[in-house]
Amino acid sequence: MILEMNHIRKHFDDLDVLKDISFGVDSGEVVSIIGPSGSGKSTLLRCATFLEKIDGGEILYMGEKAAYTDESGNAVYVHHQQLRHFRSYCGLVFQQFNLFPHYTVLRNLTDAPIHVQHREREEAEATAMELLGKMGIKDKALAYPYQLSGGQQQRVAIARALAMRPEILFFDEPTSALDPELTGEVLKVIRQLAEEKMTMVVVTHEMPFAKAVSNRVIFMAGGVIVEQGDPLKVFDDPQEERTKQFLQVFER
Amino acid sequence: MTLSTMLSTMAAGMGRTCGVFILTLIGSLPLGMIVALLRKSRFALVRIIIRAYISVIRGTPLMLQLLVWYFGPYYLFGWSIRGWRFPALILGFILNYAAYFAEIYRGGIESIPVGQHEAAEVLGYTKAQTFMRIILPQVIKRIMPSVTNEVITLVKDTSLAFTLAYQEVFSLAKQISASQTSFMPFVIAGVFYFVANYIVAFAMERIEKALDYYK
Ligand SMILES: Nc1ncnc2c1ncn2[C@@H]1O[C@H](COP(=O)(O)OP(=O)(O)O)[C@@H](O)[C@H]1O
Ligand SMILES: [Mg+2]
Repeated sequence: MILEMNHIRKHFDDLDVLKDISFGVDSGEVVSIIGPSGSGKSTLLRCATFLEKIDGGEILYMGEKAAYTDESGNAVYVHHQQLRHFRSYCGLVFQQFNLFPHYTVLRNLTDAPIHVQHREREEAEATAMELLGKMGIKDKALAYPYQLSGGQQQRVAIARALAMRPEILFFDEPTSALDPELTGEVLKVIRQLAEEKMTMVVVTHEMPFAKAVSNRVIFMAGGVIVEQGDPLKVFDDPQEERTKQFLQVFER
Repeated sequence: MTLSTMLSTMAAGMGRTCGVFILTLIGSLPLGMIVALLRKSRFALVRIIIRAYISVIRGTPLMLQLLVWYFGPYYLFGWSIRGWRFPALILGFILNYAAYFAEIYRGGIESIPVGQHEAAEVLGYTKAQTFMRIILPQVIKRIMPSVTNEVITLVKDTSLAFTLAYQEVFSLAKQISASQTSFMPFVIAGVFYFVANYIVAFAMERIEKALDYYK
């Protein structure tokens, strides 16, 4: 198991956003998370990537505990030095790309490898160029983010995350901020990564994509996992009423 | 007094004006950043002190502040203020401008989307790296127009040094005008301020242009 999240609880003030969520991700697995807006999908990814602190439960990466619940019921995180190590296992691709506007595309991909991971500049640049080639935007290496289309920016963001060599890559609605004609190029690179057995968790509203690419799909609603399993089964023969209702909206 | 002696007498004042201007910037630009960061300190007491400092500085005239810095030590503690004129002047200017720059920096820092912090955090940058490498460069670009305004105001505010009878160009203009019953010193001072601001505006515009390589 690359990632295990057990009995995760998270609330904002008196709003319970995650209510006892448990799931795991195996190496090479692609997991899609679907569900209505406000069901806690982003919060789950933010907890997994340590942007948000859990209130209860445990998070394990590669079998090692990053956070757990002590006897008094409080969530405890490992020391922040160790947490940095856990952070290095995971990458996150945001809905809004969040590229660094003052850096060229190339520098967006090399700055963290050089200054966070202390890798050699030449090696980091070679890795970055290779990733840009894979994303089909090698010619944009010296452009600034504002000079790119949304689809190109998101591909840069994916490459930036991959440049850190994460064990697992999370995507939070990677195509939701894109014009419909640009979603295809982003989904294509994610599909390509799936073929290369990159471990990924993708929150998405692109149902045909989720069905075709993922090994498992999780349907979340109201802070709980309502149903999960083989995508063909969940999409074509959902067991729960809540899942049926949700999927009906997408069938039209 | 001929025009050329008038000019050469006033040249020394122009030098002193430039001195006040440059020392104020050297002190207040970095101090303003420290103040802006302390304003968001974890410690409530620090935040309260910084906010009080900013609101007093912004709520009272700079001229009054200069008088307080200069005469304060004497009236409050009975200390001798010989040789204190110039330090008090620079202190007053630096603390005043630092408060204004701090507010500009704060606005700039808060205008950076939270996604920039989050992207940096996930990539493993430390807090210090995130600020220095990701946030600050973007802040500097965004605040340049406000900083330019403030710097141009400073050029003109240096004339308030006359309050402490410091012989900068404006004080000299007044003295020479009175003793020579001539209007000329004011014209010279006016031209000097105008040219100084022109140079400042030109320099700031060049900096803004240099930062124009991204949006
Ligand atoms: N930082 C926050 N503070 C308060 N409420 C939040 C915060 N982030 C998310 N929420 C709330 O938590 C719920 C789940 O949000 P989110 O995880 O973004 O859902 P989803 O991604 O499935 O649309 C929503 O009701 C949202 O308003
Ligand atoms: Mg969301």
